[in-house]
Amino acid sequence: MIRVLLVRWSRYNPYYLEPEPRKEVYHIPETELTPEQKEERELKSVRPIKAATNSVTSSVFNDPVLSKFVNMMMKDGDKIIAKGIITQTLENMKRKQVEKYHKAPEVKKAEIECNPYVIFHQALENCKPVIGLASIQKGGKFYQVPIPLTDNRRRFLAMKWMITECRDNKHRRTLMYEKLSQELLAAFSKEGNVVKRKHELHKMAESNRAYAHYRWW
Amino acid sequence: AFENRLAFRAQVRPLHGSGCGQQQEAVGMETRPETFSIFRTQENNPACQSEQHLGQYYTVPPSHFHTVFPHGLPPRYQQQVKTFNEGCVMVRQPALELISHLKRADYSKPTLRYLLYGVKGSGKTMSLCHAVHYFSKQGWLVLHIPDAHLWVKNCKELLPSSYHASRFDQPIQASNWLRNFRTTNEHFLSKIKLRQRYVWTKRESTEEGRPLGELVDMGVSHVKSSSDVVGAVLKELRLQAWGTEGGFRMAVAVGVNGLWGRTTLKKEEKSPVAPEELTLVHNLRKMINNDWCGGAVIATLSQTGSLYAPSSAYLPQELLGEEGFDSMDPFVPVPVSLYSEKEFESCYLYYLDRHWLQHPHSQTEEGKKELIFLSNRNPSVLERLCAFL
Repeated sequence: MIRVLLVRWSRYNPYYLEPEPRKEVYHIPETELTPEQKEERELKSVRPIKAATNSVTSSVFNDPVLSKFVNMMMKDGDKIIAKGIITQTLENMKRKQVEKYHKAPEVKKAEIECNPYVIFHQALENCKPVIGLASIQKGGKFYQVPIPLTDNRRRFLAMKWMITECRDNKHRRTLMYEKLSQELLAAFSKEGNVVKRKHELHKMAESNRAYAHYRWW
Repeated sequence: AFENRLAFRAQVRPLHGSGCGQQQEAVGMETRPETFSIFRTQENNPACQSEQHLGQYYTVPPSHFHTVFPHGLPPRYQQQVKTFNEGCVMVRQPALELISHLKRADYSKPTLRYLLYGVKGSGKTMSLCHAVHYFSKQGWLVLHIPDAHLWVKNCKELLPSSYHASRFDQPIQASNWLRNFRTTNEHFLSKIKLRQRYVWTKRESTEEGRPLGELVDMGVSHVKSSSDVVGAVLKELRLQAWGTEGGFRMAVAVGVNGLWGRTTLKKEEKSPVAPEELTLVHNLRKMINNDWCGGAVIATLSQTGSLYAPSSAYLPQELLGEEGFDSMDPFVPVPVSLYSEKEFESCYLYYLDRHWLQHPHSQTEEGKKELIFLSNRNPSVLERLCAFL
C-alpha cells in the first residue's frame, strides 16, 4: 500500500505560491500576455508552489459551487459517498426532465429545462435569503435584528437548509438522492419547504424592522 | 450474400470532421430527417443489417419491445429506454459476426455453441439481446435465460425436489422465468405437442399430445412444481428441435459461468449447495450440451454477478473454471471489444440528439476529449459518465 504524506494542510511558508489548475491560463501565447501576467509567470518559475488539493481539477466539468455542496454534505470525511449521492441526484433530475421533455408536445418543449446544473444553480438562487437576523444584546435583553448578509453567508444558508430539509423531513424508505432531486426541482419552480423557510425568515425580518437601528455596522 | 441485401435507402455519409458540426445543426432544426443522421439507420430488421450499418443505431419498434425482451436487458439500459421513450440498439461487429454465423450454420448437425466474452461493460449482454431480436424476427423459439447467477444466489426458498431426492427446487425463480418464457413465445405454445405423459401429483398429470402452453400455465400457477415443469419444457424442446414443421429452436443464456463454480446457497445444516444439486441448473446444463440438433446456443460470460471471481477476470478460462470449460468445449468464441472511434462518435451523437448530454462543456471538443479519456471508450463507463453530465 502506498502511503501518501498529506502536505497540503500543513502550514506552508508564506514564500510558497498558490497553484493554478485552469488550463486556459497556460494556453495563452507569449505575445498576448499583459506585463502583469508576464511578471507573474517569471515569479512562478522561481518560487516554489504549494501542492494542489484533491478537490480541484483542471477538468472542464469542475464546478466550485457543486464542490462546496458536496463538502457540506460529506460526513466523517467520506467524500466518495457524498459525491456519489450528488451524481445520482443530478442523474435523477435529468432523467425526470428528459422524460417529461420527450413526452411533451412540441409547444411545451422549449419551456422544460433539462440541464441539471442549471436547475441546481437556479434552485440554490431561489433559496438564498436576502436579509438575515442577528441576535444583539441591548439593555439586558436579546433582540432579533435584521442585518444584511454577505454572499458567502447566503450561499451557506441556502445549502444548509437544503441539506437539513432532505435529511430530516423524508420518509424512512426514500433515499437521499431521490428526496434531494424532488426538493431541488421544487425550489427551481419556487415551491417546496426550503423556499418556504426563506420566506418565513424574510417575514420575521420584516416584522422586526423597528429594531434595525440597533445595528451599529 | 449480404451484398444482395443492401439497404435500398442511400445513407448520407459526410466525413467525420466537417460533417459533425453540420449534423448537429441539422438534427436540431428538423424534426426527424432519418437520411441525414449519421448515427441512425432505417434498417430495423437485424437480418438485413450488414457492415455498412456498423456503428449506427436502429430502433426496436415499441410494440415488439415488451414481447421480445420481458427480461434480459441490463437494468441501466431499461432505465434509458424509459427515459428516451424509444429502444435503440447499436449495430456492432460481434453481433453482426454472430448473426452471420447463425445464417450459414447447418442445423441438421449437433448444436454449435457461441461464447461472447469481453471486458466488464463492453457490451456482451446488448449483443446477446441484438441476437435475440434477430431470432424473434426470424420466427425461432427463444429460450432466453437472463442470468444464471440469479439462480445460484439470494434464493429465499429452497425446497427439496419431489422428482429426485438429493436435488433442490427454486419455485420463485422458476415460475418467474416461465412467465417471461410465455410472454416471448406465445405463438409456439399452442403448436408444440408433448410426447410424454408427466405426472405431478397423485391427482394431476399432463397427458401426451397436450399443447406446451398448458404445461407452462400449470407451472406458473402451481409454484411448487415449477422447477420440474422447467425441466420438462427443456426436455420436450430438445427432443422436438429438428424436423417438426420447421420449428427451429435456440437456447440463449447469459452468465453461463454461474452454472459451474460455487453457489452462496446453504442447506439447513449450513453445508454449501453445489450447483449440480439445483434442478434448474441441472436441466440447463443438459440443454447446453450439444447432443441435440436444430438450434444454437449463445452464451455470455458475466463477471458482474459472478461469485468468488476476481473483478479483473474476463477470459473464458478464468470465469468458467475447469469443469465449465470442459463442458462448453468446443465453442465458437466471439470477443466483444470496447467502442471503436466510429462507434464512440455514434454514441456521442445519439446522446446529443436525445438531449442527454446537458452540460454546456460536454458539447465542446474539449469535453469530448475528456469523456474519451475518462471512459477509455468503455460503453458502460461512458453511459454512467454521461448520466450526470
